[in-house]
Amino acid sequence: MSRADLASGQVIRMSLMFRLQHLALTVLLCVLAVTGFALMYHENALAQALIRLEGGVHNRGIIHRIAAVLLMANVVHHLFYMLFSREGHLELRDLIIRRRDIDDFFQSLRYNLGMEAVYPRFGKYGYKEKFQYWGAAAGIVLVAITGFMLWAEGFSMVFFPKFVLDLAMVIHGYQGMLAFVILFFWHLYNVHLHPSVFPMNPSWITGRVSAEWLRQEHPLEYEKLKEEGLL
Amino acid sequence: MNRMSRPFLAAAVAAVALFVAGPALAATPGVSECMDCHGDKTIEKTLPGGGTLSLYVDLATYRQSLHGKGSCVTCHDDAKAPHDKLKPVNCGKCHSEAEKSYAGSSHGKMHAKGNKDVPGCDGCHGKHDILKSGNPGSKTFRFNIVGTCLKCHKDRALEARYSHLPDQKLIAAYEQSVHGMAVKKSGLTGSAVCPDCHGNHGILPADQPKSATHRQNIPTLCGKCHAGILEQYEKSVHGKGLRGGIAESPVCTDCHGEHTIVKASDPSSAVSARNIPKTCSACHEKEGISTRYAIPKKRFSSYMDSFHGIAVEYGMTKAANCSSCHGVHDILQSGDPASPVNPANLPKTCGKCHPNAGPNFAKGAVHVEVSPKKAMGVFAVRMFYTIFISALVILFVLHVSLELYGRWNRRRRGEQGGKEGPS
Repeated sequence: MSRADLASGQVIRMSLMFRLQHLALTVLLCVLAVTGFALMYHENALAQALIRLEGGVHNRGIIHRIAAVLLMANVVHHLFYMLFSREGHLELRDLIIRRRDIDDFFQSLRYNLGMEAVYPRFGKYGYKEKFQYWGAAAGIVLVAITGFMLWAEGFSMVFFPKFVLDLAMVIHGYQGMLAFVILFFWHLYNVHLHPSVFPMNPSWITGRVSAEWLRQEHPLEYEKLKEEGLL
Repeated sequence: MNRMSRPFLAAAVAAVALFVAGPALAATPGVSECMDCHGDKTIEKTLPGGGTLSLYVDLATYRQSLHGKGSCVTCHDDAKAPHDKLKPVNCGKCHSEAEKSYAGSSHGKMHAKGNKDVPGCDGCHGKHDILKSGNPGSKTFRFNIVGTCLKCHKDRALEARYSHLPDQKLIAAYEQSVHGMAVKKSGLTGSAVCPDCHGNHGILPADQPKSATHRQNIPTLCGKCHAGILEQYEKSVHGKGLRGGIAESPVCTDCHGEHTIVKASDPSSAVSARNIPKTCSACHEKEGISTRYAIPKKRFSSYMDSFHGIAVEYGMTKAANCSSCHGVHDILQSGDPASPVNPANLPKTCGKCHPNAGPNFAKGAVHVEVSPKKAMGVFAVRMFYTIFISALVILFVLHVSLELYGRWNRRRRGEQGGKEGPS
C-alpha cells in the first residue's frame, strides 16, 4: 500500500493507521516492561525504586493491567484491520511467511560468508521483518493468555492447580523477557543501527522512506511500484 | 558460730539481761528522745569525701510508714543517746526469707562484697518512709517500681562501670513497650512490671538456669498472665520442642522481643504482618536448623519470590504471611492432621482468602523451590527460556556481524544494498 510522492522521491511505507497502532504498541510495551520487570526482579534495587515510583506494588499492578487492556484493544483492532480492511489485507499478504523467505535467509547467510555471488532481493518485508512481526504476535498471544490467567486468579483457581498458575507466572515473565530481547537486539538494530537507516528509519513517524532506500533494500517492492506506475 | 564471736554473744546476752532487769539503768532512747536531735532539720554529718549527709528524720513520714508504730531502736538496736556511727540496719532480723533470697541474687552477692552501687533493702524500699507494696505511695507499688528499678538501670554511668549490665537503652525501651504503656498510659495494674518477670529479692541474670527469665522458664513466665496463649504454645511444635529439651526451639521472647515488646498490630513489632517473614526466617532460613531438625529449606526465599511475599514486602499486609497459613502460637508440623498446612487442610486454609481455591488448586508445592526435584515444571520452563533467550541473543549478534561483514563486501564492490545514508 505504498504511494509514490514523486516530487520528493519519497514512498509511503506506513500509513497513518499503522503508525498509530505502532505508536500505541511502543508506548504500551514500554509501560508493561517497566512495571512487569520491576516485579519480576523485585529483589533488585532499581526494581524496588521503580515500584516505589509506580506507587507501590498495588498501584504497579493497576498500571500494568490498564496498559495490558489497552494493548489488547490495540491487538484486537490490528487483527480486525489486517483481516477485514483493504489496506490490512494487502499488508497481510506481504507478511505471510513463504518458502522464499527461508531460502532468502540461507542465501543471505551464504552471501555474507562469501559462498554466494548474489544477495537476496526482498519485497516490502524481508525475512527480518517477518520474523519480527510473527515473533511478536506469538509472544503477545502467550503473554496475554498467561496474563489473563493470573489476573483472574479467583477464576483460574477453580480450574487449575497451583502449579499451573506457577507455570503461567514463569511463562508470562520470561516470554516478556523474550519479547524485550527481540525488540532490543533485533528490532532496534534493524530500524536504528542498521547502516542503511542509521540513526533512524523515519517511517514510524513520517510514514515515508526514500525511493532510493527502497530500491537498495527492498528492490522487489520498488520494482512492483514501478510496474504499477506508482513510482 | 566461731570461737571469736562467743565473747560478743555473752556481752549481748548480758546487755539484754540488763535491759529486761532494769530499764531505768539502760540508756535505751524512746522515739521522742531520738527526735530531740534527729527532729532538727539542720542536723548533718560531714562525710569523709567532704560532703554532708542530713541526719534529719521526718517523724510524720515515719509514723505513716509501715513501721511507724514501732520504735527507732527496733531497727537501730545499738542506738544510745547520744551516739556515734551506728551499725547498718539488719532487716533480715524480721524479714529472714527476703534476706535469704536477696543474698542469693546478683544484687545480694555484690552487696556482700561491699559494693555500694547495688541496692540494699533501702535502695528499693526506702528507709523511714517504707510503705506496703500495695500502697500507691510505695516505691515498690506496681506503678512506681519501674521508676525505682530504672533509677539505676537507665543510668549511663553505671552501665559504663559494669560491662555485664544490659544496654540501658534496651531496658528503658520497656517504657515504650506494650507493657510499659499499659501501666503508664492506661493505668492498668494487670500489666507486667519489672519484678513480674525478673522476680524481686532473688533477681538473677537470664543466663542462669535458676533465673525467672532463663530461656527454659520464659513460656511459663509469660503464661502467668497469658495463660490461654501458653496452652496453645505447649501443644505447638515449638512448645513441644522446648519441653523436649531442644533449647533452640523458640520461646515467647524470640519472636516478640523482651523490653521492646509491642502489639502485633504495631508496624514496628517483630511479629507484625510486614516483619513476621524476617522473624520466622531468623531460624528457618538457617542451614543448620533445617538440617538438624529435618525441616524444609528455603522457606523464606521461596516465600519472598511469591506474590504473597512481594506484596507483603511492599506493604500490602493483607497478603498472606507465614502465620496466615501456618498459625501463630499453635504452629504444628505439616504432617499433623490438625495443621492448617496439612495437604488435607490446604483447600480450607487457602480458602480463607481465596474462596475459589478448592482441592484441585491445592495440588503442588506452595513454597515453590525452583529445582528439578521440587518443581520440575517451573524449573524446566525457566531453563528453556534462559537457554532460548541466550541462544537468540548469540544468534542475533552473529547475524548482525555477518550482515555487516557482507554489506562491507558489497559496498567494496559497489553492488546494490551496500549504500549508506538517509533512508
